[in-house]
Amino acid sequence: MTRLAPWLYFAAAYCFIYLPVGALVLFSFQEGGLPVPPFKGPSLKWYAQVLGDDDLMDALLNSVVVAIGSGAGAVGLGFLAAYGLARHTLPGSVVLRGLLIAPLTVSYLIVGLGLLIVINRLGLGLSLWTAGIGHVVINLPLCFAIIYASMGAQQQNAERAARDLGAGEAQVVLLVTAPMLMPAILAAFFLSVTLSWDEFIIAFLLTRFDVTLPVEIWSLLRSGLSPALNAIGSFVFLISVMIVLALELLVFGRRRA
Amino acid sequence: MRNAARQTLRGWGFTAPALLWTLAFFIVPFLVMGAMSLATLDGRTLVWGIRFDNYAELAGKAYLWRAVVISVEITLTVTIVSVLLAYPLAWIIAFRVPQRWQRLALLLAILPFWTSYVVRSYAWLLVLAREGVVNQTLMGLGITSEPITIANTRFATVTGFVHFFVMLLTLTIYANLIQLSPNYRRAAMDLGANAFQTFVHVVLPLTLPGIITGAFLTFVLCIGDYVTPQILGGNTELTVPQVIMVQLGRRADFPLAAALAIVLMGIVTLAYLACARWLRLDRL
Amino acid sequence: MNGTVSKLRIALLGTAALGLLAAPAMAEEELNALVWCDHTDAALIEPFENEHGVKVNLREYEGTGAALAILEQSRPGDWDVLVIDGIDVFRAVESGLLAPLPDDALPTADFFPEVVMAENNTKDGVTYAVTEKFGYNTISYNSDKVDAADMEDLSAAWSEKYDGRISIYDYYLPVMGLAAIADGIKTGDITADSLPKIGTVLGDMRARAASVAGVVAAQTALATGEVDIVVGGGEWLTAVLAEEQPELTWTIPKQGAVRWSQSIGVLTDSEKKDLALEFVKYIVSPEGQARLATSACFWGMPANAKAGSVLTDAQKKVLRWDDQPDYLARTQLYPAPDTDLDGEMQDLWLETLQQ
Repeated sequence: MTRLAPWLYFAAAYCFIYLPVGALVLFSFQEGGLPVPPFKGPSLKWYAQVLGDDDLMDALLNSVVVAIGSGAGAVGLGFLAAYGLARHTLPGSVVLRGLLIAPLTVSYLIVGLGLLIVINRLGLGLSLWTAGIGHVVINLPLCFAIIYASMGAQQQNAERAARDLGAGEAQVVLLVTAPMLMPAILAAFFLSVTLSWDEFIIAFLLTRFDVTLPVEIWSLLRSGLSPALNAIGSFVFLISVMIVLALELLVFGRRRA
Repeated sequence: MRNAARQTLRGWGFTAPALLWTLAFFIVPFLVMGAMSLATLDGRTLVWGIRFDNYAELAGKAYLWRAVVISVEITLTVTIVSVLLAYPLAWIIAFRVPQRWQRLALLLAILPFWTSYVVRSYAWLLVLAREGVVNQTLMGLGITSEPITIANTRFATVTGFVHFFVMLLTLTIYANLIQLSPNYRRAAMDLGANAFQTFVHVVLPLTLPGIITGAFLTFVLCIGDYVTPQILGGNTELTVPQVIMVQLGRRADFPLAAALAIVLMGIVTLAYLACARWLRLDRL
Repeated sequence: MNGTVSKLRIALLGTAALGLLAAPAMAEEELNALVWCDHTDAALIEPFENEHGVKVNLREYEGTGAALAILEQSRPGDWDVLVIDGIDVFRAVESGLLAPLPDDALPTADFFPEVVMAENNTKDGVTYAVTEKFGYNTISYNSDKVDAADMEDLSAAWSEKYDGRISIYDYYLPVMGLAAIADGIKTGDITADSLPKIGTVLGDMRARAASVAGVVAAQTALATGEVDIVVGGGEWLTAVLAEEQPELTWTIPKQGAVRWSQSIGVLTDSEKKDLALEFVKYIVSPEGQARLATSACFWGMPANAKAGSVLTDAQKKVLRWDDQPDYLARTQLYPAPDTDLDGEMQDLWLETLQQ
């Protein structure tokens, strides 16, 4: 019994984790018009409807752009700050690190509300740019922390060697430090992209006409029950899983070997 | 000497962009929001000033302070339940699953993380509905004879949250567990400790910082979340984020929304202070 | 590894660049509209876009207070068209947000007379908005599970007999209007003094209710048998479910129910008033009205009776076209509070729900 108990728990946990996903995917193939039992037989019509919905597809593209753009911004800023703080002695560096990490301890809603108030006061318009700025704010601390944590003495020696051979600081950073830290940089980038891609409340508060996918799904969700919601959810899940698996196999999987 | 000064200057050069970004788009908005919470609304006209009307309103109106209580209750429940459920799973993956399968098991455990976050709550609504999968299973197994109401309750909100955070915590706790050198456990066993004693006196203390860090992140993300309680909670008890969004969406009462946000921030700060000595936020 | 990574990087950059290129490709004239979700249906908007060679940008909002705040904080030219609750038009007019509309451009003579609502849409003889759509907040129910006769009486709908079988629609104005009607208070007569009585009825309702639900949650609850009655529901809630579950229906009880209506107008600060007026004219034309009545987010009756010649018989049956004279006579408009009373009503609503 005691030998079996862990495996029972293991199985139960995976059932729990996959329960909503299973129901979501199953009823995305619902032949009928409502995504609730009984299941009336398989149909792809909701996928056809979702893929033919221009608003949804525009939102999907917007999400890709915002996720990649804000991810690149957060990684760039985070990397430079990590390099600056790890390789140079700055007065009050503990405070500076704390300041950079601070947004991590604040709810997304508060970040979004604060930015919304400022943007309103300044009379600036809301757009995908403002949502992107918000996403860089929330992802910068993570990128900084991940890259800072992986900066060790090993790279420092290589940097020093490069410098002794006459490389300028820019060359050192671009040609030595960045490539050596590539696993951490990539991990930070993909984490940022994932979080931005799926972020709702900041994007909801800070966009106007062009919205990201979670915001578009939210307005669908407010307008009525339909298996189309299951279809778009399953579709996004499928794409995400394929990207995750591809990354696991192509990029991160190699590291172990 | 000049060289050292130039080095420092360069350091600032590298760090400045991120610092300026954080100042301009995080610190300044936060301060403006603080100022906004001290302003008042006359009709729809904003009156700046230093008045504590919004905080007085918060203390005086039952639905506002009850939202704070409800948020804290739900968040604490979710944090504790998620840690208790995730720890054994992470443990099993780290110490029972054969090494070559661990990465796959872990990946599978967090894969539903990539379903759209808004859709995930909606999926739980379908699962927990009266004729949904859970009720049909319970009745099929003969556990209940009548369908029970789960959707649109606090239990549904907590379930939706726990699902998400179990995935997150399994990952962080697993990362902690495998960093433990097996020698610690072996040493404890050699000294005559049984499995339980080893866990309580050796493994648990060593993984505590990781657990607390994960639990704190759970707390922050959970207490600030709007979507899950809005979709699953049945709107009969509103959390602080829900009340904030009502103030914004129906009344555009930014001062009161800002005051509520500051209170939310205060709660998170308290939670931070409570676990500060174990937190390792810069070593995620 | 390096090869794979750089290929990946190129692919990602390429995707981003494509996205950036795609965005400014639309250089045509744009019209910005602040609307309710039924206006976001492509089947409604695209014919107008194609005819005029323009792009209509749409943003949804939730409550009038928020919409007015958005407009007051915007710069001239930000917004061209506003869709607003019929009873709230006066708030926008008083704030100077709406521009006059030329009466001769609007087919109000073809409208159902009850929904022209000149007292709401005009001020001092000047027209500022025009009604475009209307419907009812009343009782939706499952006719297999509840006694249809009970649903003809508002107080029976939330009586002990249906304890725990009720969901309340999550919008304060119509539901508080229903509570007022159940207590014999006319929705037009609601003042701060009527709030205690309304609060009592609302409290009874809340005590019997299993949930307070938005559109999807209410539909899910009805469709899965979670609840049998939705207080505040109507054709806009059950129309999409009716095809598969004809037992889900709605009625207007003997005391009457609440009538919602939405108006559309052009904003004072618009820099494209002519195009904005064209959009308004399109929306109230028979074709625009038929598309709006059956738009994806929610169905509702068109204000222009001539839309009847464009709608199919099946659509008119779902809308209960032939019952409209009776329904119009027996229903009352949404409560129309000013900003202060609105705040008090929202407070009462939230106080009552949080129990």
